[in-house]
Amino acid sequence: MKHVFHHPPEPSNGTKYWRGLGELNDTPEFRQWLEREFPPGAAELNGDEWSRREFVKLMGASMALAGVGLTSCRRPELHLVPFTKNVEWTIPGKFLYYATAMPRRTGAIPLIATTVDGRPIKLEGNPLHPASAGATDTFVQASILDLYDPTRSKRFVQKGKGSTREEFEKQIAELRKTLLSDGGDGLAFLVEETNSPTRERLRAELEKNFPGMRWCVYEPRLSVEGNAAMQTAFGANARVLQKLDRADVILALDSDFLDCGQGDLETVRAFTSRRRVSAPKDSMNRLYVVEHRFTLTGAMADHRLRCPASQIPAFAHALATKILAGTNDASLASLVETSQDASNTFDQEWIDGVASDLMAKPGASLVIAGPTQPVAVHVLVYAINAALKNVGQTLIVRQVPRNAKTIDIAQLATEISDGRIKQLFIFGGDPVYNAPRGLVEDPQTELPLDWADLQKKVPSIVRVGYHEDATSELSQWHIPLAHYLESWGDALTARGDYLSIQPMIVPLFGGLSEIELMNMLLGGPKVQGPELAQETFRLTNPPGDFQTVWSRFLHDGFAAHVQSSDQPASFNAGAAATLPRDSSSLSAAPTAESPEIVLTGSYSMDDGRYANNGWLQELPDPITKLSWDNGASISPAYAKKLGVETGDLLRIAINEKSASGQQIKRELVIAAVVSPGHADNSVTVTLGWARKMPQFVELPYAGANLKEKPGLTEQAGFNGYFLRTAANPHVAVAGGKGIESVQVTKVGRTYPFSITQEHFSIEGRGLVREATLEGYRANNEFAKKIPGGEEQLPHPPPSLYTHPPLDAPQQWGMSIDLNVCTGCNACVIACQAENNIPVVGKLQVAHGRIMHWIRIDRYYASREPFNQDRGVWPEHPEMVFQPMPCQHCENAPCETVCPVNATVHSEDGLNVMAYNRCIGTRFCSNNCPYKVRRFNYFDYNQRPVGKRKLVGALNIYEEYFAPLTTKGAPDTMKMQKNPNVTVRMRGVMEKCTYCVQRIQEAKIAALARAGASADTLIPRDSFTTACAQACPTEAIVFGDIKDPESRVSKMKEQDRNYRILDYLNVVPRTSYLARLRNPNPKMPDAKDVGIASLVETLPE
Amino acid sequence: MDGAPAAAQEVQEAERRIAHVPLVLNRRNFDWLTERISGVIEQPAPRWWWVIFAITASAATFGLFCIGYQISTGVGTWGNQIPVGWAWDITNFVFWIGIGHAGTLISAILFLLRQKWRTSINRSAEAMTLFAVICAAIFPGIHVGRFWMAWYMAPIPNNWGIWQNFRSALMWDVFAVSTYFTVSVLFWYTGLVPDLATLRDRATTRIRKFLFGIFALGWRGSNRHWRHYEMAYLLLAGLSTPLVLSVHSVVSFDFASTLVPTWHTTIFPPYFVAGAIFGGFAMVLTLLLPARAIFKLQDVITPQHVDKMAKIILLTGSFVGYAYTMEFFIAWYSGDHYERFAFWNRIFGPYWWYWWFGMLFCNVVSPQLFWFRWCRHNVLVVFFVCMCVNAGMWFERFIIIAGGLVRDFLPSSWRVYHPTWVDIWTYIGTIGIFTSLFLLFIRFLPMIAMSEVKTATPEADPHYGEAPEIESVSSGGKERTR
Repeated sequence: MKHVFHHPPEPSNGTKYWRGLGELNDTPEFRQWLEREFPPGAAELNGDEWSRREFVKLMGASMALAGVGLTSCRRPELHLVPFTKNVEWTIPGKFLYYATAMPRRTGAIPLIATTVDGRPIKLEGNPLHPASAGATDTFVQASILDLYDPTRSKRFVQKGKGSTREEFEKQIAELRKTLLSDGGDGLAFLVEETNSPTRERLRAELEKNFPGMRWCVYEPRLSVEGNAAMQTAFGANARVLQKLDRADVILALDSDFLDCGQGDLETVRAFTSRRRVSAPKDSMNRLYVVEHRFTLTGAMADHRLRCPASQIPAFAHALATKILAGTNDASLASLVETSQDASNTFDQEWIDGVASDLMAKPGASLVIAGPTQPVAVHVLVYAINAALKNVGQTLIVRQVPRNAKTIDIAQLATEISDGRIKQLFIFGGDPVYNAPRGLVEDPQTELPLDWADLQKKVPSIVRVGYHEDATSELSQWHIPLAHYLESWGDALTARGDYLSIQPMIVPLFGGLSEIELMNMLLGGPKVQGPELAQETFRLTNPPGDFQTVWSRFLHDGFAAHVQSSDQPASFNAGAAATLPRDSSSLSAAPTAESPEIVLTGSYSMDDGRYANNGWLQELPDPITKLSWDNGASISPAYAKKLGVETGDLLRIAINEKSASGQQIKRELVIAAVVSPGHADNSVTVTLGWARKMPQFVELPYAGANLKEKPGLTEQAGFNGYFLRTAANPHVAVAGGKGIESVQVTKVGRTYPFSITQEHFSIEGRGLVREATLEGYRANNEFAKKIPGGEEQLPHPPPSLYTHPPLDAPQQWGMSIDLNVCTGCNACVIACQAENNIPVVGKLQVAHGRIMHWIRIDRYYASREPFNQDRGVWPEHPEMVFQPMPCQHCENAPCETVCPVNATVHSEDGLNVMAYNRCIGTRFCSNNCPYKVRRFNYFDYNQRPVGKRKLVGALNIYEEYFAPLTTKGAPDTMKMQKNPNVTVRMRGVMEKCTYCVQRIQEAKIAALARAGASADTLIPRDSFTTACAQACPTEAIVFGDIKDPESRVSKMKEQDRNYRILDYLNVVPRTSYLARLRNPNPKMPDAKDVGIASLVETLPE
Repeated sequence: MDGAPAAAQEVQEAERRIAHVPLVLNRRNFDWLTERISGVIEQPAPRWWWVIFAITASAATFGLFCIGYQISTGVGTWGNQIPVGWAWDITNFVFWIGIGHAGTLISAILFLLRQKWRTSINRSAEAMTLFAVICAAIFPGIHVGRFWMAWYMAPIPNNWGIWQNFRSALMWDVFAVSTYFTVSVLFWYTGLVPDLATLRDRATTRIRKFLFGIFALGWRGSNRHWRHYEMAYLLLAGLSTPLVLSVHSVVSFDFASTLVPTWHTTIFPPYFVAGAIFGGFAMVLTLLLPARAIFKLQDVITPQHVDKMAKIILLTGSFVGYAYTMEFFIAWYSGDHYERFAFWNRIFGPYWWYWWFGMLFCNVVSPQLFWFRWCRHNVLVVFFVCMCVNAGMWFERFIIIAGGLVRDFLPSSWRVYHPTWVDIWTYIGTIGIFTSLFLLFIRFLPMIAMSEVKTATPEADPHYGEAPEIESVSSGGKERTR
């Protein structure tokens, strides 16, 4: 209650106290002024005191009023409140964790978002749900940066001019009236796949309101062919799932199913669960891969066959013939007999080996077809699996309802071209950039039309997107889209489980979510919170009190009562046989004169949606180690034929003939990446690069992408979509639909690439140690017998120095299992997000100054000797990955050389950095045998990087202009920073800390819990580092090595455990589990498998 | 009967020929020496001096600009990266420190060994030492990421209670170089005192009189002064002698105490010291050969001096060649794969021509010319070899430092280093600083120790007049007329 001040009574001695001359004189003017100035308070100054009675009377009246009128009208409690009003359950600086999910085209990933002071800073997998089990992938980790992208769309735009939300709402209301009058004829939606039940519900309502509307889903990387085959073979609502934990033998045909970036972490984990070997008696699955380029899956393969993508159908047929011969399966026979036999183009021994291995494991084998393969291949592969009795065993089916009224983008294009679409809504995506070229033929000119042409034909387009991009430019309205961390929603996982999406922060730039916009169009009441998602949730008939179940749903992140279970699957061979077979006609093998062009997704840009994500732009491709760019991968032999090296520009020309006989030439100039292990006469172009966003003057990371005509040195990436047509979306080869010829020629100029790892040969050094499963069983200590292994050192060797005592009750260490690491890069981005690692830009990467604290070293190994320096490259090598964080050596060589004691050892075994003490001599980095230390050569966190500045004739990167450039990062970028990790300044050295901030948090929690008791130990395996937490295959394990029961100790006890460069006696705390491969001894290439550390040139 | 006198005569004759080729030719007397050497300072600067000074001072100024730019913007303006954390910066540091070795060697070790011929060259060699050490000291200072925090390397008591890491060779470096510089300055200045007094006495302007007066410390040339002076000089020479050997040994510890293949080598201390003396003598000759010609000091810096220095270059160059060979041998003999690879990489890797040209041709092959008397006495050949050695020693340091880092343990981190214009101009800038300082030195201070050279003349010999007759070796310069 407000304290009412009572003036003391006037003293009786006659002294008069006054507060102003006016009061003293007490003139009528003054009284008048008082009345005017303080109407309610005038009485007080006039000397009238408030009586207690009067006060109680007034208070009572107001309380009565409040109680009578408003008690039950409390506003619903929304947990999105501005941080200026402190929330009672928050402690400033302490993290809060909320469950949410990231919607993805293949199924959402359940997440736990870490928020601090009201802003999300880090995403982790939801350990309660199997779709994540605590793990994440690169895109989840990087999506937090998209939320804070300072160039995100911030305004409502009408015809290129800024507008307001109110104006837009008015327009929508009017549009609704028109649409209601004509039944929505002419209304169309072009959306991305989000797997949101609420969106489906609202769509159904829209369809009720506007029966004429069209709904088109377009995702460049969603397998149309795969879905078509699935629906034909298993029913309209079937979703086929692989049970890789049950498969002993797997054959992947052009399938990169181990690419975690595709969102199916469960499958990846199921696969690696069969590659975990802790003792020689354990078994392993066996993976055969047939592919044209090295993929993450190919790197994991036990046997890998290089095969042009256009030859996969032929291979599938050859294999089917063999399987048919072995099984005499009737339905397989119905699919195989009609086709030509092309099996003699492949190594018969190889196919025989695979086929007999598959047939030896009926019901425990699996053949997987790649998403870009034609429908016929998918169907054939299903038939093979059926013949192998895998359907219902390693292949199961779940029913996920599909709306049959969905059309594809080619159908929508036809409708637009015919002028039937009057009002188009585009949700997300960037079809001008990524829609197939040549969607439909112009009736007048007979020339093919691209999406950009078609968009001009639609009278009104409302586009909702993250960026004002090329699509927005050709739309009448652009609406900022809310990030998934800013909006309410829901989504289904790949297996159909129901997840909640709750916002972590109010939309930073006032964006709308898709469902909000659909609700607007439905004329629904304005939504304040989760109403739309709640409505959908209500339809699932949640048991018990709705509020409680809803809260539980939000709290857990998923609805346990919504269960979709595995269905018994039956392969419908009859339906499959009815499929058109045009794509099964086997094209001839590509030649050097007429190569094939294969378009694939990118490991870092996906389909282009992460174009302005600096972390992902800078993330080296796991295979080519290219940063900030894509390229055309070709085999060393083909490169020699073309006379090019990595970085030389190639001109790819595809000559087409349209249906009406017009000649069309599609051209792309792109730099070559010579890639060992690539199929000959095949060119792989990764999609998703060089996306332009013209509405913005500058994008901090996309480099000069935004310039209309970038110079070659300034662009980041090449746009492969120029070659992607509706007729041939994945492979362009002479003889394909309408393609007359394909040519690849040398341009004669080079392009500056930034490659983070230039040397791919392991040079016979025992860094990655590898053996076959048989070899391991014969010699389980093989990892230690390699020269430089542990047994060569006398322990403990003499030392001149006194070392830190390492006597803390808990000692930290890490173990990395090379056998299950897929090289997916999730750890790299997780580390970057956790530890405030700056982005340095393409030029700085080229200079060798990338800042990643953990990198994935990739080596090629081949039994055939090769010499990279002299240009003798392996054609068919193995690929091995090795994640490389700071090894936290107990005898750290970096510590002895630092003149100012800036890097020292802690009692719990960490090699720690004191940034404030570091003066930046770089001596520690020179003396680090693992080269894991990173130096801030410029003020990467404070100055613009990767941006050019024009000063007269000079055109210089801005980092070279400090201190003339403006200091400071954009505010939104600061919001992402982890407050527990120092943001480093220029001139200091940094490196992996084993996430020391997490160790300290855990310690503080343990101490707080212990109170006066002595039990101050952090509970076993109760926390982990960012990289280990993100790892989808649990290859990285961190913990207390002093505790023999901890997971890391158990791993380090295994006989495959080794420490690299152990002979230096630096005693690293990070150790590796040697890699194993499981070759089939009957295969012709069995002797070339598992050899990464066998080619030993160390002299005796 | 006649045998003994004949033998004695022969011995006498031989002694005459061996010992007494005079160090100052043409029987130049004290007056000539004073006039000639002081004259360089007292006469107006010739036009060439201004031209060269303008060039070198411009280079120095631009070098200082580059340093300012680098400090204000970041070490990233250089080409350094990961794995090559040190490149031109530390290469230049070791290069200049190496050059700084000849001066103290000449003044201290040759003094203790009673090598009178040092008197003609010791002053300028010492000055060169100081300037080279100044140039060297720039690099460890500016190469750090946070220049403004470089004082953390100074052992200043502080309230954080953090002390320096005395296990770090870089720390030893700080002390070694600063000690060396301090002692060298003292030694040089002590030697200058009698000459400063000479200049004070000859000064014609008040300013010169005043300044030389201050710096001459009241030298009057009394017997007592000379006694104290010579004792001080001897003590300083004794103090400097171990420093000559220690400084570059400590510098080599920066590398030898690490575990980088090609750095981690026990041969480094003697190898570096020999290399430093080698490079230092080449630089002394590089500076003195033109100065001698320009200032007509052939009578003081005689062919005999050049010959002796060329022999030292040949000797130390052979040490260096031996060290190179031993490195390869030990790399092979050790059986260490990484070590073997690193040396293989040195000759056939990305910097192969640095090794073939810089190390092999410049440092090992070119000094072999000095086996021939004709070469040692041909000024042009000597100058050519010296320039080769100057370049070769820079290449050697670069190959050791950057060449060792480009390809070490993990092939995944291998990356070739490329310098930027800032790297190059910072180095050229230090050459500018070095030459500018040297030009200022010859303008304002006697470049030859007058008082010491005089001790090498016959007049200084207490047995003057009894010496045997000698023939003139050099035609000498023209008499200067007053």
